[in-house]
Amino acid sequence: MADVDMTAQADDNTNDWVRVTSDDGYSFVVRRKVANASETMRDMLDTAGNYAEAIARTCPVQQRGLIVEKLLEYMSFKAHYESAGPKDEVPVQEFMDRIPPEIVLELLLAADYQNM
Amino acid sequence: MASAARRGRPKIKPPRRHGPDVSIDQTWNDLANNIREIQNHNAPNLSFEENHRFAYNMVLHKQGAMLYNGVNQLVAENLDHLANTQVLPTFPSGSSDETVQSQEAEMLLKALRNIWDDHTSNMVRLGQILKYMDRVYAKSAEVPEIWDAGLNLFLKHIIRSPIKEHLVTAILNQIQFERDGYVVNRSAIKGCVDVFITLEDVNGLTVYKRDLEPSLLRESRAFYEAEGLKLLQSCDAPEYLRRVESRFESEDSRTHHYLSRNTAPALRQILQDYLLTPHLTTVISMESSGLDAMIDLNKTNDMARLYRLFIMVPTGLPCLKRAFKDSIRRRGDTINQASSGVEGSQTAASKTAQGVQILALALKWVQDVLDLKDLFDKIWKEALSCDRELESTLNEAFENFINLNEKSSEFISLFIDEHLRKGLKGKTDTEVDAVLDKTITVFRYITDKDVFERYYKGHLAKRLLLGRSVSDDAERGMLAKLKVECGHQFTQKLEGMFHDMKLSEDTMKAYKTHLSQTVAPKIDISVIVMTSTFWPTSQQAATCTFPLDMIQTSKSFEQFYLSQHSGRRLTWQPSLGNADVRVTFKARKHDLNVSTLALVILLLFADLGPDEFMTYEEIKQATSIVDNELQRQLQSLACAKFKILKKHPPGREVDPSDSFSFNADFSSNLQKIKISTISSKVESGEERKETKDRIDEERRHQTEACIVRIMKDRKHMTHNDLINEVTRQLATRFLPNPLNIKKRIENLIEREYLQRCDDRKSYNYLA
Repeated sequence: MADVDMTAQADDNTNDWVRVTSDDGYSFVVRRKVANASETMRDMLDTAGNYAEAIARTCPVQQRGLIVEKLLEYMSFKAHYESAGPKDEVPVQEFMDRIPPEIVLELLLAADYQNM
Repeated sequence: MASAARRGRPKIKPPRRHGPDVSIDQTWNDLANNIREIQNHNAPNLSFEENHRFAYNMVLHKQGAMLYNGVNQLVAENLDHLANTQVLPTFPSGSSDETVQSQEAEMLLKALRNIWDDHTSNMVRLGQILKYMDRVYAKSAEVPEIWDAGLNLFLKHIIRSPIKEHLVTAILNQIQFERDGYVVNRSAIKGCVDVFITLEDVNGLTVYKRDLEPSLLRESRAFYEAEGLKLLQSCDAPEYLRRVESRFESEDSRTHHYLSRNTAPALRQILQDYLLTPHLTTVISMESSGLDAMIDLNKTNDMARLYRLFIMVPTGLPCLKRAFKDSIRRRGDTINQASSGVEGSQTAASKTAQGVQILALALKWVQDVLDLKDLFDKIWKEALSCDRELESTLNEAFENFINLNEKSSEFISLFIDEHLRKGLKGKTDTEVDAVLDKTITVFRYITDKDVFERYYKGHLAKRLLLGRSVSDDAERGMLAKLKVECGHQFTQKLEGMFHDMKLSEDTMKAYKTHLSQTVAPKIDISVIVMTSTFWPTSQQAATCTFPLDMIQTSKSFEQFYLSQHSGRRLTWQPSLGNADVRVTFKARKHDLNVSTLALVILLLFADLGPDEFMTYEEIKQATSIVDNELQRQLQSLACAKFKILKKHPPGREVDPSDSFSFNADFSSNLQKIKISTISSKVESGEERKETKDRIDEERRHQTEACIVRIMKDRKHMTHNDLINEVTRQLATRFLPNPLNIKKRIENLIEREYLQRCDDRKSYNYLA
């Protein structure tokens, strides 16, 4: 279980909490803003589409917990630096260093599916 | 990744295999079922993740085309289904009742909007689960994304015959219904129109532009053509304009609320073409309600509306200008006629009464012109938004009719005279000033400013000599105003007159001190020395024989003055002076204030017995006053309000065969009596002719001076250039006739100021 910390953006639409689950039973609770960093998750949770996931506010991701955690870490990173100006330094290299090489392939596929 | 390499050789795990766990057909079947469920509004029971993965798997396993076509087919089937179940039942029943028609149209439009909403929300959902297909398959296969495909399908399956025709008819029907004054459901129309605007055919043309707008404009044209004629027959001008303006507003709000903004200019054009342009003249000249009636009844709002509407179309402004011009000309003609109306029937009235009457007419003329000017100024300000072009039209019209009245210069000068004279009507300074300010605006319209100057000089001289001016300040204020209008040159002589007045005052002071040191003559005297070029009245003086006492007095002053200024010549102007004399009547003594000439006449009677007569001829011989002047003086002594002399036989006119006696029985309860000389304030025909001759002469001189001035400067000039330049330079004073200029040039050639060149078209200046 990991609560991903993020800057609280005071936007009602994006500030509530949603749940992301992995297929091996892990469950993560993140701000909607973070979940929106993945287009697939955004569509899944979209109230206009109003699928079962949107009602339950839960995104099942068919990946191992380890992968889901990394995905969410990146999504938080993206959500955090999304609004960074051109002068602000974005520590991309640092983030890359934190990706264990043994999961990159898996991560790549998952990212493609999640359209992020 | 460089850091990863340093950590030794971690084993990279292969990703989980995505082999087709289930067959593609099975996948598609499941997905198709789910899509149908979505179309039945059951999305909340479906898993997004599951369907997304179906689509993902199909695309991943190269089955994108099957997926894409399958979805398209499902959408098309659904649309056909919607059309059959929801749109077809709302087709019009063919009823002829307007209300039923309108309701049916509304139903149809609403049904279309419903299936559109249904379709789009379905397409949004499908778009979400098929995102991977859009991203990966649609791009590489070069087919539109599923959302656009959905729009194309809608276009093909819903916006088609006969549904399309019914929809267009329904919209037109609703608009017509609203134009007829009924309330329609605007949001229903807007819903449908919005769909039309959103949908584009293959050429990028919206359905709105392609199918709706042309017929809409066609209908509108027919409607407003008929409407224009109908309104013209049933309404007066203000009502017509009101209706037209409200049409403009309602069409504008229509395009704003439920049609495309882009249609607004076209609709506006139609309104202008059918309601305004063809009917401009008819409306503005409508009997008893057109522009003239509006001006008469002071309908500012109607005129403002008229202006607003007319300036929309290119032909409007000229039409408006013409109408205003005509109106002013007609009003001006009326005023002009009123002022000249009496002249014809004047024979009956006595000369005195007639003079007063004509003066009143002159004043009335100016007042009328001022009122008219005020009226149009107000209209211009309040109704015409201070339009510059119209201002010049108005000015032009005023100028025209004011100059049509050849007496306008005289009248205006009289009007100013009336206001600058002492003790009149108890108007305050500021009021008088305001009136004079306005008079200046009328003065501006006069082309022959030199004529005005002549009259003004005459009137000013009378005011100054008789001491009748309200105040020096007022006079000088007026001069300043004229100076602003016409420049220094124009007022130079007028200012000279003021200067003379002041000099004379000083001279008199010196004379008085001189007298106190020597023997004073019997009669007190006050002299105003006038420089002959400044004052208008120094025409061959109306001389007369002074009695001895007066000769002595005048000689005394003459000696004094000439001793101070050598080389000057003094001429006495008895017709301009006045005298105070104490006369003993039977009842009591009275102090009379009479003109100098009248005094000379009165003194003749001083030596006569109570019942002795003097004939006209005798008086003439004794005084040697010229006929018309003598008649005037006698008339004011014997025929006016205070009858100092008796005329035999009595009557209002003085005839050379009359004789006169002193009226000793005269009585009045006033101690001081002012016998004002009867003066025809407005010029009579002869006087006018004389004035005109003098003005013509002056103009000749001015023209010549101007030509010489120009030629001296240029040395050589072509005929046309010279004429133009002279006209330009003289325009501030009067409008010269080219023919006259030519005559002057010829005259100057004769006198060898100029020389005609060999080319016969230009002149040389001869020094």
